[in-house]
Amino acid sequence: MKKLLFAFLFVASASIFVVQAKAQVIVIANNSVKANEVSKNDLKDIFTGASTSIGGGNVVPILLKAGTAHEEFLQAYIGKNDAAYRAGWRSLVFSGQGTMPKSLEGDAAVVEFVAHTPGAIGYIGKASPHEGVKTLQVR
Amino acid sequence: MKRLLVGAMALALGAVPATAQSLDDLNIQIHGYATQGFLYSNQNNVLTTHSSDGSPAWDEAVLNLGAQPIPKLRVGVQARYFLLGNYGNTFTLDWAQADYKVDDRFGLRVGKVKMPVGLFNETQDIDPSYMFALLPQGVYSIASRTTLLSVYGGNAYGALKLNQLGTLEYRAFGGVREISGDDGNFLAARESGITLPQGLAAISVGATLRWRLPVQGLMIGASDFYNPQKSAPIVSTPTSGANVTSTNGTITVTAFHEPFYFVKYEEGRFLLAGEFNKISPHQIFALTGQATRASISDDRAWYGMATYKVTGKLTAGSYYNQAFNVAAPLGPKRYFKDWTVSGRYDFNQYLYAKAEEHFIDGTLYGFDTTLNSILLPTTKLTILKFGVSF
Repeated sequence: MKKLLFAFLFVASASIFVVQAKAQVIVIANNSVKANEVSKNDLKDIFTGASTSIGGGNVVPILLKAGTAHEEFLQAYIGKNDAAYRAGWRSLVFSGQGTMPKSLEGDAAVVEFVAHTPGAIGYIGKASPHEGVKTLQVR
Repeated sequence: MKRLLVGAMALALGAVPATAQSLDDLNIQIHGYATQGFLYSNQNNVLTTHSSDGSPAWDEAVLNLGAQPIPKLRVGVQARYFLLGNYGNTFTLDWAQADYKVDDRFGLRVGKVKMPVGLFNETQDIDPSYMFALLPQGVYSIASRTTLLSVYGGNAYGALKLNQLGTLEYRAFGGVREISGDDGNFLAARESGITLPQGLAAISVGATLRWRLPVQGLMIGASDFYNPQKSAPIVSTPTSGANVTSTNGTITVTAFHEPFYFVKYEEGRFLLAGEFNKISPHQIFALTGQATRASISDDRAWYGMATYKVTGKLTAGSYYNQAFNVAAPLGPKRYFKDWTVSGRYDFNQYLYAKAEEHFIDGTLYGFDTTLNSILLPTTKLTILKFGVSF
């Protein structure tokens, strides 16, 4: 019984570690964005079109077109794969309720755009250089 | 000729690069989708198609043009081609609007805008956005969906965060609905020789509240909209006999309101949803030299729905839908009961396919008499649908 409990705890701990190891993305924002942190729910609302503000200030979501950081961000914070995610946005577009966020090729392009666009918020790989933007803590 | 135009529209859509065009300087985007459906029924012909022989008469193509010149302002227009049997074979303006969003709590849309009622009304004609080929017909009848789709007027909308109590979303709308004389609501009239050459334009006002509860993924809501009494000219031409002299008159649709009550739970791979709706407009026909007659309906409908994301590309689902016209005489024409099982496969973010089987008891919705000299009480309907969107 004890061995079984130990094995369960080991697997549970390992799975937590695996989840944490997978979240190798950071959320970045233009320096005009006043907030320094964002809740997971608010982040999901921003990137699914349900909300356009953090802490009372308007924000504009920016996407990566594809890649590991993009897939990890969707998995960790949206709970959908890319096809389902973009299909959700197209529902808003075709019903007149939203505009598809801009998608950019690569972390460097996202950093460049976010740095120069007031209110912009995006995500990149944790190891990517990101001078000129602020990092938002996701709680 | 119109099929050639649809083909040309599809080719034009395909000629646009596979990702939507984003004209950065003007912040303009172009999106679109096209679908092809096939229907086969074991008996009875459904939705004015020759489905008992197998019918491909179900096409749609949509082109959407939008721009966001400043962060709070969006403008856009969407055009549609729709063919389904004899219900439609036309190009229409889906919507054309300017949308100014002050903040999450308040925004305003004006122009030709979607009617925000029920769980699926704003997206019921957006095939890529849901997994079923046909939504529950007792609530979202494809035959008469133009009556519920949009108004010339405006929407006010917003979301109010209630802290520990979740979020309350509201949408209120008002405007004029233009209902075509070809709409499914007037099918019975057309089959008796009565046409509405100018259609029917009716004022509609209504509102929807959606409460996203603190329980993750759970939402409950209610809508209602009201139409005051409205009349329109009609022309009656006998459908049989030697006398083909037409008679003029008017149709009057009495005042009515249409409430919806709905619940949705969406978490992880699961989606569960249910909805109840009722509507009881009366159509009164007054023809010169003839006695006035009335067509009375009192429809109640509900459904329960479940879907499950089997893999990243495959979704399976089912629903049970019941509808009754309480004012109708007893018999299969009084009710509509539909068990549906369905699957959707997304090949990639652009291309998808749907396969669906309906087990229908009753003929209240979707069965006309022109193609059904004898209507049998039950129907098995198979649907295959392919779509491309960008």
